[in-house]
Amino acid sequence: MSPVSADAAVIAVSSACMPNTGAGTLQREQELSRFLAEVEKRALRIAQISIRDRDEAHDLVQNAMIKLVRKYSNRGDDEWTPLFYRILQNGVRDWHRRQAVRNRVMVWTGRSKDEDGNYDPVASAPDPGGRTPDEQLQNAQAMQALEVAIRELPARQREAFMLRTFEGLDVRDTATAMGCSEGSVKTHYSRAVHSLRETLGEHWQ
Amino acid sequence: MSNPKDRNDSVDDDPFVQKAGTLFNESVESLHGEARSRLNRSRQAALAELDSGAVTVSRWTQWAPAAGAAAVAVVAVVLLNGSPQIDPMVKPGAEQPVGDFELLMAADSFDMLQNLEFYSWIDIDAEFEGESATGADVG
Repeated sequence: MSPVSADAAVIAVSSACMPNTGAGTLQREQELSRFLAEVEKRALRIAQISIRDRDEAHDLVQNAMIKLVRKYSNRGDDEWTPLFYRILQNGVRDWHRRQAVRNRVMVWTGRSKDEDGNYDPVASAPDPGGRTPDEQLQNAQAMQALEVAIRELPARQREAFMLRTFEGLDVRDTATAMGCSEGSVKTHYSRAVHSLRETLGEHWQ
Repeated sequence: MSNPKDRNDSVDDDPFVQKAGTLFNESVESLHGEARSRLNRSRQAALAELDSGAVTVSRWTQWAPAAGAAAVAVVAVVLLNGSPQIDPMVKPGAEQPVGDFELLMAADSFDMLQNLEFYSWIDIDAEFEGESATGADVG
C-alpha cells in the first residue's frame, strides 16, 4: 500500500468511527435529557415533601441527576428510574441523619430551635391551575394535610408510599430504589396506606 | 422510563390512593416557574457531566493502544539490554529475560490493553453489585 493510500485508509477509518461515537453519545444525551425532564418535577416534589426545605430539595435532586449521569448513564434506560430514586432516597436519608446530628448539637449547646416554624404552608400551596378558588383551596388543603401525614410516617413507609403512589413505580422497581426485598415494599406500603387513612380520616376522601 | 400514566396496572386502585396521586400530580403541575427554571439548569449541569466524561473516555481509549505498545516496547528494551545485577538470582546469560519478553508479547497482554473500556465497565458493575448487596450505598 502506498503512503497516500495508507493515509486515505486511516482517514476513512477515522471518519467512519468518529461520527458513530458522536452520534451514540448524542443519542444517549438526548435519552438522558428526556428521562431527567420527565422525572425531575415529581422528584422535586417528593424531595420537598420528604425534607420540607425547598433549597435543599433542589440540591438533592440535582445531586441525584449528576450522580445518575456520572455513574449509570451507560445503563439501560429502563434501569434509570429505580437507580435515580435510589440515589435520591439515599440523599434524603443522609439529609435526615445530618439534621438529627445538628439538632442534637443545638440541644447540647442550648440553641434548640424548631425549624418547622419556618415552614410556610401558604407559600408551598400549588399555583393556580385553572380551577375555581374554592377547588384550588380545597385541593391545596387536602395536599397539605397529606404532606403532613406522610411526614409523620416512618421513613421506609414514607419512601414506599411516595415511590408507589406518586412516582408510580411497580413493586420490583420500588424494591430496587429502596434497596430492599419486594416483600418489604409490600409491607411498608400497606402499613403506610393504613396509617395515612387513619390519620387523615374519612372526610379526607 | 417512569411514567405513572403508562403503568396504571402497577398503581393501587384504592380511591384513597388514587386521590393522593391526583393531588400530588396537581401539585407537580403547579410548580412555580422559578422551580422549573432551576430544575432545567440542574438538568443541563448534569448533562454537561456526560459531555466531559465522554470526551475523557474517548481520548483515553484513542491513545490507550499506542501507550500500551510503547510501554511494552520500553519494558522489552530494558529487559534485553538491562543490567544483569537487577536480579542476583538470575545467572548471566540465562534465558529468563527472553522468557519475560515472550510473556509480555503474548496476545493476552494486547487484548487487555485494547479492552480497557470493558474492564472499566466490569469495575463499575462490580461496584454497583456491592452497593446492591449493602442496599444503602448508592449515591
